[in-house]
Amino acid sequence: MAKLLEVEGLTKSFFGVTVLHEVTFSLDRGEALGLVGENGSGKSTSMNILGGVHQPSAGIMRLEGTDYAPANPRAAMEAGIAFIHQELNLFPNLTIEENLFIDAFPRRSILPLIDRAQIRRRSEELLAQVDLAHKPSTSVSRLSQGERQLVEIAKALSRNARLIIFDEPTTSLTRPEVERLFAIIDRLKARGIGIIYISHALEDVMTVCDHVTVLRDGHVAGGGRTSELDLQKIISMMVGRSIDAIYPERTVKPRPDVVLEVTGLSQPGVAENITFKIHAGEVVGLAGLMGAGRSELARMLFGLDPFLHGTITIDGKELVKPTPQKAMEAGIAFLTEDRRGEGLVMDFSISDNMVLASLEDMAGALGLLDTGRIAKAAREMGASMHLSTTQVDETLVKHLSGGNQQKVVIGKWLRRAPKLFILDEPTRGIDVGAKQEVYRIINRLVEDGSAVLLISSEIEELIGLSDRILTITRGELTGEFARRDFDREAIMTAATGLAGSREAAE
Amino acid sequence: MKASNRAVLMVLQNAPYVLFVVLLIVFGLMSDRFLAFNNFRNIIIQAAPIAILAIGMTFVLLIGHIDLSIGASMYLTASVLAIYLTGLPWPLGLLAVIVMAGVIGAINGAVVTRLGVASFIVTLATLFVLRGIAMWLSNTRTLMFPDPITDLNRTYFLGIPSAITAFILVFAVSWLVLHQTPFGRQVYAVGGDPEAARKAGLPVQRIVFICFVIAGICAGIGGFVSITQIGAVGPKYGDQIEFSAIAAAVLGGVSLFGGRGSVVGTVFGAILIRTVQNGLNIINADPYIYPLVTAAIIFIAVAIDGLRTRIIERLERRTIRPLEAQ
Amino acid sequence: MAMAPPTESVGTSRERSAALRLGRLLLSEYFVLVLCVVYVAAIYPFVPEIVSREVAGNILSDMMPLLVVAIGQTFVLIIAGIDLSVTAIISMSAVVGASVMTGTNGYLGNSAFAVPGAIIAMLAVGFMVGAINGLGVVKLNMPSFIVTLATRMFFAGAAIWYVTFHSTSSSIANLPQGFSVFATGSIAGIPYTVIVAGLIGVGAHLLLSRTRFGRWVYAVGANPNAARISGIPVGRTIILTFLISGLCASVASTMYVSRMQTGSPITGENILLDVIGAVVIGGTSLFGGKGKIIWTVFGVLFLLLIDTSMKLLGASLFAIYMIKGSVILAAAVVDTLRHRLLVKR
Repeated sequence: MAKLLEVEGLTKSFFGVTVLHEVTFSLDRGEALGLVGENGSGKSTSMNILGGVHQPSAGIMRLEGTDYAPANPRAAMEAGIAFIHQELNLFPNLTIEENLFIDAFPRRSILPLIDRAQIRRRSEELLAQVDLAHKPSTSVSRLSQGERQLVEIAKALSRNARLIIFDEPTTSLTRPEVERLFAIIDRLKARGIGIIYISHALEDVMTVCDHVTVLRDGHVAGGGRTSELDLQKIISMMVGRSIDAIYPERTVKPRPDVVLEVTGLSQPGVAENITFKIHAGEVVGLAGLMGAGRSELARMLFGLDPFLHGTITIDGKELVKPTPQKAMEAGIAFLTEDRRGEGLVMDFSISDNMVLASLEDMAGALGLLDTGRIAKAAREMGASMHLSTTQVDETLVKHLSGGNQQKVVIGKWLRRAPKLFILDEPTRGIDVGAKQEVYRIINRLVEDGSAVLLISSEIEELIGLSDRILTITRGELTGEFARRDFDREAIMTAATGLAGSREAAE
Repeated sequence: MKASNRAVLMVLQNAPYVLFVVLLIVFGLMSDRFLAFNNFRNIIIQAAPIAILAIGMTFVLLIGHIDLSIGASMYLTASVLAIYLTGLPWPLGLLAVIVMAGVIGAINGAVVTRLGVASFIVTLATLFVLRGIAMWLSNTRTLMFPDPITDLNRTYFLGIPSAITAFILVFAVSWLVLHQTPFGRQVYAVGGDPEAARKAGLPVQRIVFICFVIAGICAGIGGFVSITQIGAVGPKYGDQIEFSAIAAAVLGGVSLFGGRGSVVGTVFGAILIRTVQNGLNIINADPYIYPLVTAAIIFIAVAIDGLRTRIIERLERRTIRPLEAQ
Repeated sequence: MAMAPPTESVGTSRERSAALRLGRLLLSEYFVLVLCVVYVAAIYPFVPEIVSREVAGNILSDMMPLLVVAIGQTFVLIIAGIDLSVTAIISMSAVVGASVMTGTNGYLGNSAFAVPGAIIAMLAVGFMVGAINGLGVVKLNMPSFIVTLATRMFFAGAAIWYVTFHSTSSSIANLPQGFSVFATGSIAGIPYTVIVAGLIGVGAHLLLSRTRFGRWVYAVGANPNAARISGIPVGRTIILTFLISGLCASVASTMYVSRMQTGSPITGENILLDVIGAVVIGGTSLFGGKGKIIWTVFGVLFLLLIDTSMKLLGASLFAIYMIKGSVILAAAVVDTLRHRLLVKR
């Protein structure tokens, strides 16, 4: 009997960079396969290929023995593959039954009217299969995240899905909803439907899945039956041997004065009781998996998102109801993780981007902007960061490489000589040379007495640069590590939020 | 925090109904002619053309677009009818108007979907072009309509005045289409989340196009009913009527941001606006303040919609942990 | 992830360079100016008087008020908004200003303060309507085109109503002689209106290109998120652009009133199409983030050339109306195409 899904030697390159190397895994009917790995390990790319969003550069896929090569998402859907994304694809302004049949409404004989009785009946059947107690005529806007997810599963069932892929299904669910989801998954398995379960919640993966495949840097790093593995083994496979990068020597130690003090920061749905300090001359790394709340915390510190409880203090002064302007005045700088969407104005020149946050210094005669001064400032900052060009007025940032773009954004903030620099994924998507430059800049910053909050998905990077590392899971701080206790597996364990992983600092 | 958001939302969503009741009381106190049955019958008859136009506008608003050309479309089709098609029996005249207006809607829809230009600019341009053509055809004269058409104003179908019959038919068909046909539900889907609609495989471009055609058809019908009531059209005919239609829809709960609202609310909005104008008339208010009152109503209606949408967006924000304490 | 350029098949290099040159022309600064020259050359055989002194003088004087309004509109378009209320602001300013300075029971009539007081009142109207527009967009989350449509309807009606309190006729007349000097007078051969429009143009240009506020305007239009994160006060910037548009409309109103010597509530009624058309033709994008005063100047010139040549050719008012409507649509389509082209580059 052929396996439900066979994936052999799946390889994918984008623009000459290989992101998947010979990935192989398989799944039987009625089984659940867990797919785990750090951010950027290749999980999304593999699933996108399976779902018809991308075409593989090499490799074969087979569904129940027949070759499977979907040209687009619709083909994947028709082949019986259903994808339940983290961002649910439902229409909150329609009812459950309307969502279920939105692209395939049955009609009443020859009239173009919806056969309400039929969709009512079929919806009730489908909802019963996923244990959702609501009437099909309920508006989706009234459902909780967990309930909406069940509607998506019902939709997959209505399309006779043979394989259902879950991408981070439990992030917004309450514990009872998670238990209900597991019960449904068991039912699906009993019907012979295959499940691929992608999640950072390793304990859940161990509970639900029969097999697990661990990806790392686009390779299969290991796997096996969950009954034969334990969490520690899985984490070691995720984390693996490190590729030694060069991190600049740090000569100064953190000073005793506290630059940032956060106490009891909470916001429903986003953060819970976050408390920590950063000292002058210190780099504090924030480790966590995608969706753990790192950027959310950064945004709250910078005044972009509100918070309900807690205090933020810079240099002893409390930041009340922060806004970006107030945060900047207090001396905070924020490098966001989305440099194209939030860090740069792509149609502006290098100079214009560099000075965007420090225009008050650029005034010349009559209060008008001194373009000469702007160009000079941009050139000097660019030179100190080894920017690839000195044509700061003529070059638009959209024509720069990722690494150079990042330097421009960093330069924009360095111009303000910040007391606290929050860096969210500063080396994502940039070349090695630019990465080294960023590391050097961070070093220089702390040597001058600034404080740095470094958010990164690469644990090696955090280990190489930080004085302390905090771990965060689902909006709560779950661990703190002093430099002497840095250990990749321990940090990853804490980052996955597993119980009993708090480490004392100092 | 969440509770107060929901409370504000409830207030905003029910504001138009409260306003209606307040108006009834205020005008009723100021003049007893206002609360007479005949007056209400007149309100509905006079509101019929705007209601029909607003129903067409509702389709376009639901998918997140707008049509500023319906007034000009009314004027052009009326002019063509008066100048070239006077001999036709009224059913054919009505059909001609519907076809012309539908074609205009199709042109709007085609430019919006094919060329990707913002609908407000496209229909703004169409507005000027159509008005220009109409003024040229009519030489800015006032055009009279023959008796067979104006007689319709006094005609009754099954005991109901013709205007109300037309309005009921349009309302019934549009309600049926929006709530009981696949197309109608897909209109809501596209308006609610165009990306999700695309991913779900819905023919988004076709749906958008058809909505503009429907808006055109309703402009034709509404215009025709209006002609039967006023008997003649001059260069200012239909001028800025699209805003009354938009105001009616938005007051009735249709969101300018798409995906929310219903023709039931729209009809209520049209009646509300007409009630205000009727009330002002009865208390002998200065006719010069009519446009001010209508504009103020539009402003308030859209402000309510804007605030409402902001709150709903806030409530639907992405979370990374459950909202309720475990 | 390194971004190596994808290998492309090489078409004929001559084809590609021609396409490149056309593309570069389309996107260049002076495209519209070139268009103006080409148009004049094309239309010259039919209406040779278009290059005559008299006609050129008329174009110039018609151009000034329109240019001032278009300059204000440029600011609003750069932040990806639109101000459709400008015609109503002109009307309202006109009647308010006239009511202040008219010799017949004017608020400051027959006093030395009549004209300055009127001008201040007119500017105040522009400021007030601009403030309502800006606050509606920022605080009440209303789309700019609807807010400005509503204020347009309101103040156009208000202007007519206002006149009924100040005059038995449909407009307010008997304005001080001194005021007409503005439209008719000149200094060293340059009309006052040109000087005022010139100063406003230069001031607007400096504001956009050489001040902190100007950078804010472009940033907010191009990427409001990045602007907010860089500490730019996005809401305040948006409100200010609407204030500028309102004030510009008021200044234009002073020019119209001075020329017509009467405060009429339908002043400037028909120029909305011209204003928007001129700004968009000039190259300022409806999508925001792009725009220059000099482009607007060329755009206004082009529009007036079309207008004047049509009139000289004897085209009916309606034909002009229709042609302008088509031109606006064409400009919007070109804008959309340009936008898509630039996004791909």
